[in-house]
Amino acid sequence: MSTLVEENNEKRNQLNKENKKIYEDMMVYIRLSFNKSEQETEEVLLELLDHLLVLQAEGRDSLELFGSDPRKYAKDIVGELPQTVPKEMIKLFIMGICYFLSVYMLSTGLIQTILSYGFQQLEPMKSYSLGTTAIIIILGSFMLSVVGYSVFRYIKWSCFREVSKIKEFLVTGFIFGIVPGTVFFAMYYWLPAFGPTITFPVYWLGVAGVVFLLIGELLRRKA
Amino acid sequence: MNERSQLLKGILEGCILAVISRETVYGYELAVKLQQQGIDVKEGSIYPLLLRLQKEKLIHGEMKASGSGPNRKYYKLTPAGEASLKAFRENWKALKQPVDQLLDEEES
Repeated sequence: MSTLVEENNEKRNQLNKENKKIYEDMMVYIRLSFNKSEQETEEVLLELLDHLLVLQAEGRDSLELFGSDPRKYAKDIVGELPQTVPKEMIKLFIMGICYFLSVYMLSTGLIQTILSYGFQQLEPMKSYSLGTTAIIIILGSFMLSVVGYSVFRYIKWSCFREVSKIKEFLVTGFIFGIVPGTVFFAMYYWLPAFGPTITFPVYWLGVAGVVFLLIGELLRRKA
Repeated sequence: MNERSQLLKGILEGCILAVISRETVYGYELAVKLQQQGIDVKEGSIYPLLLRLQKEKLIHGEMKASGSGPNRKYYKLTPAGEASLKAFRENWKALKQPVDQLLDEEES
């Protein structure tokens, strides 16, 4: 699989500027149809690239390959690609959640350990209410999936379109940054503490982070 | 999907099977062969069809290193593909003459 992607990366450099733009839009659009078989996806992408390179060498236009409506062409391709098994998708989903938790736990664990042991700024022991924590993790994962999905949809939407960079920055910053950030803070401040409380030294958070990282890695290897 | 393109798609699928049954080809080669036969299709339209034919297991595609270097995906017919081509050929023969005749009568 990775060899197909590498071959694609190399060959893509031979495209001229115009062809590269349309091909990369095509590629991003097709690759982002994430419930499709990766092998078939990369194979057809390479076929299209080879074909486009021949057209370019013959001085012909990409229109002859993709037609006047490249977005529709990309949709046609995606529509014919075989689906991946749902099992794969669930694995990818769990992998994403594990990575997210590991990054979050590793960074907070590290910062809190440094603050409490290095600078005596924080209590070295920290208490968590299990009920509240569980809700934050579930809602947080759900929200991240929604944000992730919206990012996918947004990038797909922006393929084959000219989008103003400033507008893009404002819109994406709002949707993908400010909205989820606010929800997270709201959860932290307004969720009442409930469920049994556990107390442990802050560096355990880092250890838990490493465990999630390992699970994520393991899933990635298998995928 | 309008009817015209449905009909054309079906015919084009049959033609693709016919080309592949003669020899193993890769995508660009297939487009050239179809054009040489005077079948004037947009080159890109073969790729969605190739994907569909693979999904229906009528053809089998395999990435292979070609003689001069780059990896190419070569297609060949499966037994199911050969059966499908045979059916297409029979259907086409059965339809061609009566349709021609009907249209000729209308013209004159």
